Formats: sequence, structure tokens, C-alpha cells
Amino acid sequence: MGRYAVRRSLTLIPVLLGVSLLVFSFIHLIPGDPALTMLGERATPEKVGEVRRQLGLDRPIHEQYLIYLGKLFRGDLGSSIVRGDPVLTDLLRRFPATVELATAAIVLALLFGIPIGIVSAVWRNSLVDSVSRVWALAGVSMPIFWLGLMLAWFFGVQLRWLPTGFRLDTGTVFDPWTNFVILDAALQRNWGVLRDALRHLILPAVALATIPLAVIARMTRASMLEVLSQEYIRTAEAKGLPQGVVILRHALRNALLPVLTVVGLQVGHLLAGAILTETIFSWPGIGLWVYESIESRDYAIVQGASLFIAVVFVAVNMLTDLLYAAVDPRIKYD
Amino acid sequence: MRKRTVTLLVAAVLLLGVAGPAPAQTFVFGAQGEPVQLDPAVITDGISSRITRQIYDSLVKYRGATTEVEPALAEKWEVSADGKVWTFQLRKNVKFQDGNPLDAAAVVWNFERWWKSAHPQHENQIKAGQTFEYWEAQFGGFDDKSIVSSVEAVGSHTVRITLKAPQAPFLANLAMFVFDIASPKAVEKWGIEFGKHPVGTGAFRFVEWKPNQEVILEANPDYWGVKPKVKRVVVRNIKDNSQRLAALKAGEIHGMEGLNPDDVKVVKGDPNLQLLLRPTNTTGYIAFNYKVKEFQDKRLRQAFAHALNKRAIVEALYGGTGLVATQFQPPSLWGYNKELKDFEHSPAKAQDLLKQAGFPRGLSEITWEDGKKEPLVFWYMSRSRPYFPNPKEIAEAMAADLAKAGIKAQLQTAEWAVYLDKRKNGQLPLYMLGWTGDNGDPDNFLCYFFCAPGAPREGFYLNKPLADVLLRAQSLTRQAERARLYRQAEQMLQDDVGRLFIANNQPPLAFSRKVKGYVTNPTGSEHFNTVEVQ
Repeated sequence: MGRYAVRRSLTLIPVLLGVSLLVFSFIHLIPGDPALTMLGERATPEKVGEVRRQLGLDRPIHEQYLIYLGKLFRGDLGSSIVRGDPVLTDLLRRFPATVELATAAIVLALLFGIPIGIVSAVWRNSLVDSVSRVWALAGVSMPIFWLGLMLAWFFGVQLRWLPTGFRLDTGTVFDPWTNFVILDAALQRNWGVLRDALRHLILPAVALATIPLAVIARMTRASMLEVLSQEYIRTAEAKGLPQGVVILRHALRNALLPVLTVVGLQVGHLLAGAILTETIFSWPGIGLWVYESIESRDYAIVQGASLFIAVVFVAVNMLTDLLYAAVDPRIKYD
Repeated sequence: MRKRTVTLLVAAVLLLGVAGPAPAQTFVFGAQGEPVQLDPAVITDGISSRITRQIYDSLVKYRGATTEVEPALAEKWEVSADGKVWTFQLRKNVKFQDGNPLDAAAVVWNFERWWKSAHPQHENQIKAGQTFEYWEAQFGGFDDKSIVSSVEAVGSHTVRITLKAPQAPFLANLAMFVFDIASPKAVEKWGIEFGKHPVGTGAFRFVEWKPNQEVILEANPDYWGVKPKVKRVVVRNIKDNSQRLAALKAGEIHGMEGLNPDDVKVVKGDPNLQLLLRPTNTTGYIAFNYKVKEFQDKRLRQAFAHALNKRAIVEALYGGTGLVATQFQPPSLWGYNKELKDFEHSPAKAQDLLKQAGFPRGLSEITWEDGKKEPLVFWYMSRSRPYFPNPKEIAEAMAADLAKAGIKAQLQTAEWAVYLDKRKNGQLPLYMLGWTGDNGDPDNFLCYFFCAPGAPREGFYLNKPLADVLLRAQSLTRQAERARLYRQAEQMLQDDVGRLFIANNQPPLAFSRKVKGYVTNPTGSEHFNTVEVQ
């Protein structure tokens, strides 16, 4: 296991190098002079030249890449072009908000996705199955921004049950310790803020959970169907075990393995989906930040955040691979 | 264990009850994005300046909904006969929010910071990648390059500014948000971080900035002007236009800018909301490239002018907030020429003019001065701007109008940077673009474009008499005389059909009916001290 983990980690090096190259080329793939794009229609040529120098665009391209890599190794993601703040600091400050949202979404997706998948598989082709399959198909194809707007409009504007955005109400006085607001509020025993934070979390989490929920439900169903047709299930049933035990203890445990892979992959989609969800719900995580930076042509932030998201994605997938062994004792890595 | 989970869940559901109303005494404004920073001297964007205008004051300000200038930190002023020496009397007993007095020394300090590249608080900003862009643009540059030759304190509350030459829009420039006066002590204390710890003399004091969320301000009880009617101001960053409107409808914010053109009627139809239009300060135009032989014939340019149905375009594509433009200056400017008659929309007349110009079968090909022939291409913008909110649709409508008169243009666009680049180098034969004013002075519209005849940037448009009139207007200080010259300039521009002015837009703002006293200004300089929330 230890040796496998090391070997698996080594494969990350070419992947991450590739990612860095890709992220680095962003700025050169965009048509037009990035300096001019950033500065807009009133820029003087001197100012454009100055920004080009600042971005290092006046050097040969291979040199630019090596400088970029060198900085990466020192943990330097550069500084925001618009505000001048170090990208890494801002990234780490905003990341907890995204993690909080993504965690809530994945919990929702698992909490509902797996039972729906099981029910569909067990009562295959029943009404429940048909409804949940249509629902899952709709969920997979749902544009998040549209769903987000509808949720906000219905629960925020029409019913006024939940806020249409943000992490906390206007003017809430709260001094977060870790920027995981829910965690901080619980630790500080500030129940008012905890309640406020949870209310704000619901709609964006539901919007973000839609696609992974549907995917997990479909995957669980397919996987369960396969397992349920296996002989040991028939044996278990023949032994006279109650159906619940057969399904939950014998079938589900084996069926969950492919689901685990899907969950790992979904984390990547969650981060991508977070850009839309956070923008719609004014959720101050890295998604909203990236969106704003794209608009203001802050390439340093877009590059830094893309790289960071890619690293998280790769890391989560590696973790999933390692988790396999823990979940399924039949799997051995050598 | 399981029981506890259930209890927790039930408790959670109970906790998530219905929201209470927003606390009174707070005005919550929905902004379109995150401020860049809150040091007015180095910012250029409307989102940041919406906030800085509440925290700071300038020497003079725009009056109400106009671009006329009235006293602010300067109570009164006089100008020498030659227009070069301006003497400002500052208001007495005004304090910065950090307790330091606003006096002549503080004002001089601010000017030196903007103007002198060796000033420590100027130099450190440059090193941090910031620039004093508007100082450069409005006052000719830094150090010796500037039109300003000296700024001195001649009394405890008297400031004398000497210019190398008279500058007509001088006062209008000083009213711009970039020339708001900051507390010298606070700038020195925070250095390049001052933009996160702003201190001015304004109606509201800075409290907190939560990144990507909101900026919180608090009423300044010692404010010298109209005392704020609300205790707090919160400017929330809501990126998405539709979502910002949803927040307004849900009562989470009291006002917003950045409405989608299509949402204007939604606001009009909602009994709880009101629509305010910001007086227009923006004009969209079509420019000819005068290196194209055909465009050198005035009759041909007239044919274009008669072919366009501007009214139909404004009605269909501006969400009800657009105006037909007859000239370059928008009607909110005091140099606007009310007498100017627009070209009549008449495809027949256009065809006739084409015939006279030697194109009886219409125009679909152009000839550059070097003899190169190519199909006529009409370039449209790839990005939405206030003056052309839907550039592609507007270009399509205009191309259809032109086609009816026999002018067949192919539409083409380019990524924004490429577009601006080509335009700057004079490579676009026929293109659309526009301008949004900075300081409410006609000079800011006309002179930027027409004071340098033959510039590639302006399609090599050569009109020396027009430039002379504009330069003369720039050298005068009496507004009545200048206004006459600007009216004349607009007439000259129209007589020559130098360019086609299409539309002005009035950016819409939406508010809850509970909000009273919000005054919109063409420059976007809006002060929240008069705002009431009932």
C-alpha cells in the first residue's frame, strides 16, 4: 500500500507539469494583446508597454515558462494584476467558502443519490424507478445557472423563505477564525450566525448538488442492478436473510465501489460548477473570484486558480484510488 | 446515535425559520462587482468610485443631476483674468474622519501626491503597479509635463493653483471622483494599503470591506454638508444582473445598477419597485475611414446618414432607455446644440445621393487610397458597452437599413483587443464605437476625438477648422462663450457628416419604492447622504 501510494504520487509529476504548461499558455492563446485587453480603449502605448513588461510578455516564450515554473516551485502564484495582492493568499482565504459549499453539495448528493439509486434498482421498472430515472436525466442536463436563478426566484423572491445569495445576512457581525463559517459559528457557539449561515447555504448547495446527485443515483442504480444479479445474492436470499440485509449489507457494499470513482470525479465537476453557482448566489469562494477575474482580465488570478483547481482535482482522484483498497479488501496494489 | 442525528436535523429545520426584514436605517445597494480599491486617486472604475464618493469630498462637485459645478470642500473661488491662477477658499472646521483637520496644507499635499512622481506616496504606488491615470489624462502629465505649475497654501484655508495655460474644463476636472481629497496622515500611515483603509471628509465613514461580499460604511455625524439620512450603507457585490434584481425583489437590497435591457419593463411593472434613469453621458457612433476613397465624397456619407433608421433601432434594442443621438455630445452636456436637425430617415434620398456620387447600382466595394479594392466591411464591436448594449443586433439592424438604400456591407468583428488595435492603427474602413464622458465637460467629448486632425485613431478624419474651434473653446474660461463654440462645432461636424452619431443611452437603476432622495448624475457621481429608506 505504501509503495503503491508513492508510485501513484510519482505519476502526478508529468500530469502537473502538463497542467502548468496548459495554464501557462492561456495568456498566449487568447487573441489580441493581453495588456491592451486589460487596459481597454483609452490605454496609452506607454501604459500598454509597461503592463507588457510587468507581465513579462516582452521575453521569449520558453524563458517566460521557466520563470513561471521557478516561481511555482517557490509557492509564488504571482500577484493580482488589478489589485496587486498575492494570488496564493487570496486563494487560501476564499477556498474555505468553496469547500463548505462543495461539501454541502456532495453530502446532499450522497444522502439522496444513493437511496434513490437503491430504490430504483430494487424496484426496477416500477413507477418509482421511472420517476427517478427521468428526474436523474433532467438533473444531469440541468443548466446550473438556470436552476440557480429559478431556485432563488421561487424560494427567495416568491416565498421569501431563503435568501437569494451570500453567506450571511447584511450587517451580521461575525469574526470567522478559519473562514469555514459554519464550523466557526459552531465552535464559537454563535447559534444565530450558524442558523443564518445554514439558511444561506441551502439554495446554492441544492443547485450545485443537482448534477452529482443525478449522476450518483444513476451510477448506484446501474451498479446495484449488476450486483443484484450475481449468484451470491441469490445464495444470501436462499439462506433466508431478510431483504434489507441482503440489499444493504451484501449488495450495496460491493455496488458502492464504482460509485466511489464517480464521486471522486464529481469533485472536479463541483469545482467547475462552483464557478456558476457562486456567481449566481454571490458566494464568496474561488468560483466567484475566478469569474470576476476573467471579466477584469486578471490573468494572474485565472492562471493561479486554474492551476490550484487542477491540483485539487488530481489530488482527490488519487485519494479515491487509495480509498479503493480501504473499501474493498479484494484490491491489492503491487 | 441515530436519535441524536434526527434531533439535530429537526433542530436544524426549526432554526431555519423565515427571515426578518432588513434592519431599518441601513441602505443596501447592489453593485455589479467588487471594488478594485478605495483610494480615489488611482482607481478608474465606476464600482470603486460609487463607494469612494461616499467617503470623500472633492474641492467642487457636480450639482444634483447636472454636470454644472458647485462648491464642496472649496466654499468659493476666483480665477485671474488670464484664466491661469485659481484661488480656492476652503470651508472652515471640516475634519477628516480620522480627526485631522482639512486645511490648505492637506489639499496641497494631495495635489503634490497626484502630480509629483518623486512624492513618496506617489512613487510607492507606481512601484506597486498603480498609476495616477486620470491626473495624467486631465492635467497633461506628471512633474514638468503637467499643465499645473504650482499649488500653494497662501493661508490656512486658502489654496492657490497656477496653470501654465488656461484650462477650460479645470473646475469640471476637479469635480471628478479621482480628485477627492484624502487624509494625508492616513495615506502616510497605510502607504499602498491605503486603498483598503480609506479616510476622507465625506458623509460616510469606512467600516469594513468583506472581499467579494460587501463594503460597510457608517454615517459621519460630523459631516459638513447635508447630514446622512441613514445610519449605515452596505454596498453588496452581486455579479449576476438577474440575481441582483432577484435580491431587490426579495427585499434584500434597496437599490441596484446594471439592469438587463429586458428587465427594465419588469421593474416598471412591479408596484414595489421604481426605475431611475441616469442622465445620458454616452454616445455610440459609426466612423468612416477617410483613407477609403469612396468615403471622401460627402454625398456618399450623407447617403449613409439618410439610410439609417435610428429611431427604430433605439426603440427595438435599448430596452426603452435609449435616445436618438443627433450629435456627439449627449443632451446632458451644456455644450449640446438643441437647434441641430437630424438627418431624415429616407432610403429614397439615400439612393439618390448614391447616384449623384456615381454609384447608381449601389455600393458594395471600396477602394483604399493605395488603390487596393476590397468588399465593404462594416466592423461591429464584440463587447457590449453602455452606448451599444447589443452591438451585434444593432449592427445587423444598421446593415439591413444600409442594404435597403443599396449599400451592401459585410459584417465582421474581432476580439475586443484586436478590434481596438485595428481601430487605433486606422485599419477599419467602417466601424462602430462610442464614448462615455468623464467630467461632464464638452471638451472631454469633442476634443479627444477632433483636436488632432488626421489621426489614424479617428480614421484619418481631417477637419482643421473644427479643431481650431475646439482648441479655442478649450482656451476660454467663460462657459457661455465656450458653449457657443461647442454648438458651432457640432454644427460643423454635422454639415460635414464627419461621423454618424447613433444613440445615447441612459443607464437604468432600480430601487425599492421605500427609497427616496436618490439623485442620479450623468457622471455616475451619486451621493448617498440624501438617500432615505422608509
